[in-house]
This record gives sequence, structure tokens and C-alpha cells, in this order.
Amino acid sequence: MSNVRQISVFVDNKPNQLTGVMKILKDSGINVRALSLADTKDFGILRMIVNDTDKACETLKEASYAVTVTEIVAISIPDTPGQLSRVLDILGAEGVNLEYLYAFLGTSDRAVSFVIRVDDNDNAAAALNKGGIIQLTENDISEM
Amino acid sequence: MEKYWNQEIECMPREDMKKLQDERLVAQVKHVYENVKYYRDLMDEKGVKPEDIKSTDDLHKLPFISKADLREAYPYGLLAKPLGDCVRIHSTSGTTGKRVVAFYTQHDIDIWDECCARAITAAGGTNEDVVQIAYGFGLFTGGAGLNGGSHKVGCLTLPMSSGNTDRQITFMRDLDATILCCTPSYAAYIGETLHDMGLTPDDIKLKAGIFGAEPWTEEMRRSIEKSLGIKAYDIYGLTEISGPGVAFECSEQSGMHINEDNFIAEIINPETGEVLPEGEVGELVFTSITKEAFPLLRYRTRDLCVLSRKKCSCGRTLVKMAKPMGRSDDMMIIRGVNVFPSQIETVLIEQGYSPNYLIEVDRVNNTDTIDINVEMNPDQLSDKVKDMQAQERSLAEAMKAMLGINPKVHLVTPKSITRSEGKAVRVIDRRKLHD
Repeated sequence: MSNVRQISVFVDNKPNQLTGVMKILKDSGINVRALSLADTKDFGILRMIVNDTDKACETLKEASYAVTVTEIVAISIPDTPGQLSRVLDILGAEGVNLEYLYAFLGTSDRAVSFVIRVDDNDNAAAALNKGGIIQLTENDISEM
Repeated sequence: MEKYWNQEIECMPREDMKKLQDERLVAQVKHVYENVKYYRDLMDEKGVKPEDIKSTDDLHKLPFISKADLREAYPYGLLAKPLGDCVRIHSTSGTTGKRVVAFYTQHDIDIWDECCARAITAAGGTNEDVVQIAYGFGLFTGGAGLNGGSHKVGCLTLPMSSGNTDRQITFMRDLDATILCCTPSYAAYIGETLHDMGLTPDDIKLKAGIFGAEPWTEEMRRSIEKSLGIKAYDIYGLTEISGPGVAFECSEQSGMHINEDNFIAEIINPETGEVLPEGEVGELVFTSITKEAFPLLRYRTRDLCVLSRKKCSCGRTLVKMAKPMGRSDDMMIIRGVNVFPSQIETVLIEQGYSPNYLIEVDRVNNTDTIDINVEMNPDQLSDKVKDMQAQERSLAEAMKAMLGINPKVHLVTPKSITRSEGKAVRVIDRRKLHD
């Protein structure tokens, strides 16, 4: 199971900071598949899954943004009550520590996708696999 | 092998130098007393006559002159020569108040050029070198001073002035510049730009840099030396006394030799005005003993530093001044504690951050606040908020250990703090607005 690469960008907690990043991505023809912004009083960390990770990193770095790439786990689960709870139970049973997660839209309106950031990707992937949870590859996401 | 521009003066035995200073001081005091009413009044008020000054041992009897005097006497009040004998005017940057102007005769310019020639030679410069001057040209003394010194040594001189950093690097590469002269903050910016262009020190021919006109730390020196692949030399000067070259660094890089044949240095207690013995920290005071047009006696620089007559490995006997700990103007008093921007710079470089920072000082509910904006290190970006907050906290703790007060540290995006091409603005103090 190949892990999905997520781009994180450091942005100031000031007006128009997100606009700047989005404009660069737009100009390079990059499509954002999933996105979440974690903010503090001073700054924010913008996390994204895009259709061309290498190109997005390169253009953002050229524009002097601080960028880092981390591997995350992406899953697709049915859009019915109790599904996320089941995923968390599976991870919890294996002792996988969850850092953060965020939802994004998939192709089907009966399923929902999640980015899951854990401390141990391999362990999490194996547990999810065993629990019958559908995991997405970077290719799956870019083709959505 | 150390090279000297003027070995006779630079390595003169102390007794001979004192004799030379004694003679020049006596003549200078007479010149000033006769030609500058403003200073004559100060001497009369203190009950000192030119005859009372028989040698440098009597220097302490003379009244001080300060920046406030220079402003009050603006523009001609301290001029000691007819305007017809003067050939140039320079001016201070005026960042701390009304501008101050200084006048030069051709002889004054010649001496200034000689001082800068000594500095360039001490940095290894000869007539084989290409000297790129990226100090501002104009009223500011930086560009003109090093330009004159470079010509005197016979170097091929590139009078670039500051700014247009891409062009600086293009010329540096195309014309094989070997010595760079500019402010340390601009040198750091040039190094950063070079790196951003995908170039390394191997792509340029620079071997030395002569940097001054603003306070900088030892950590900043090492960081510039690494980014440009050079040896970085400090230079000191001030418009009121002449310009860069009042003191310059040698290969030992442990303080700057003062051109004592032209300037007598004293260290005083800034509170009482009392002269302090060698080795004690105090305010630096200069007396120009060769200047004709604008000769200041006992000018208080507000720079805090220490003098040393310890033997220098370079062979020069000229007294050395340590890097000033900061101009007393730069010192901030925050919640009763003295804070210098240079202390903050030291912490940042030690912790691997860019030396570009901005300090904001304010007063909220009668309590001073200090906020330090620091460009985050892109190599240390984490996708986890808690990691980034831990970096902020750890930097704030290091700052607290250095400063003795608790500043707020804010990480901001790389390159978002304005780069300086001349003297960097590091502090915004909003407390003055409330007074």
C-alpha cells in the first residue's frame, strides 16, 4: 500500500496569505484535492493533497514559501453513521496515535474520504487493511 | 604575511605616537578655539584656555561636544575653515532626529582616503584587487569613504552603490570582484540571494569583505563568511568624525585598530563623564587632531565599547576598540532592563534562524511589551502545529535567557521581513507615541 504525500505550507496569520498560495497553484494549473488549515495566533499550516505534488512543491518553494512533504494515510468509507467511529476503533486497538484528520470529497456521494495523520503509517495501514477499510493511493486521489 | 598601507604610522612605538598626538592636539585646540565660536564659548564657560592643553594628558580638561551641540550649531556653527576652503559635505542618516552635516577640505578628504586605504590593505587588498562598493553613495559617508580608499590603494573600483542585488551579483561574477564593501545586513542579503540563484561561493571570486555602518554580531560575521566564502572585516566610523575608517580590523579579527595619528579615543562613564581606565566598558569619545574643516574635540559617540592596548599579532601598535556593544541609541529599556538588538541577533543565529528580524516595542496598560518577529526556518517546517509552537517556545526561552525579560516570539514566513540594502531597521518602538 503506497502512502499518499501531503504538502504543508507555512502561512502567516494575516489577510491574503491563503490567496497568495492559491494563486501560485492556479497559475501552475494545479488542482487541490483535499485541504485543511490549522491555525495558531501567529501562523497557519496549510495542508493539501494535490494532483501534482512535485510541481506544487517546486513552484511554492520558488516563491519563497516554506514547504514540507509528509506521508499520510487516505481512506474512503461509506457515508453512513458510525463509519468513522469504526475506523478510530481499529486504529485505537492497534495503539496507533492519531495526530489529526480531515475529510474531503470523493467521487461518490455515498462515500466520504479522510486524510489521517498518524505516528506510524505502516502499522495504521496494516490495521486498516485487516479491518476492511478502503485505502486510497496518491494515484486514486489525483484521478478523482 | 601582514601587509600595511603605512607601516611607519601603523606600527609606530607608543611613545612616538603619543608625542605625535601631543603636538597635533595642542595645535588643534588652538585652531578650534580661534575659529569656532561655539566651542570657544564652551571652553570659556569651563574656564579652559588653549594654553592649558599641553599634551594629551590634559585632554580631560576640555568640554565634551555631543550630537545635540551639532544639531544646535547646524549648519555652520562648528565650521573651522572658510567655506571657500571646503570641498565637500556629508550628512548623517538622520534616523535619530535632525540631520547633522559635516564639512571637508581637500586635506580632510586625503586623510580619510588614507584611513580607508589602511583598512583595505589590512583586509588583504592590493592594486591587483577588484573592490565592489555596495555602500550607498551620496550624503552617506559609506560609499565615498571606501571609494576614496580603494582608489588610493590602486584597486579597480566598482562604485555600485547599494541596491539592485541581482545586478550586484552579475557584476561580482562578470568582473571578478575580490573585495566587497557594504553594510553587514546587505552582505547577508547578497549571500542569501546568491544562494537563491543556485550559486555557491565557488561561483564568485570574493576573498574578503569590509562591513560596517551598523552594529553586527560575531555570529553574523561567521554566517556571512560562510555564505560568501570570504573573510569578513569590521570597519568603524562616523560622519561627525570623518566616516568609515576611523578604526579598522586586521587579520586577527578581534577588534578594530583606531587611526590614532588622526583620532584620539577615550572611554568615559556615560553618567559622570569621568575618563575610565583601559579595559573598562564605557562611552567612546573621539577627538579629531588632524581634521581642518570640522574638527570635533571630545565628541561623544554614544557607542558603548572597550579599548585595548594588548599586543596584536598583526604587528600594529594602534589601540584597538572592541566591536561596539551597540550605540546607546539602539539600546532599548524594556521593563527597566537594557536590551540590545545585537543580543537578539546572537540568539537567532545560534538557533539557526535568519538574521532578518523585526522587534516591535510597545506599552500596553503601562507595561512594556516586546514582540520579536522571526522568519521561520524552512528546513524545520513540520505539518504538526504542536511542533511549530514548540519551536516558538524554545526560541522564546533562549531569548529570555539572553535578555532577562520574557519576549513574545512570532514565527513568520521566510523572506517576509524587508531586506535592507543599507542600514537595517530592526526596531519599531511605538512607546514614543504615547509619551
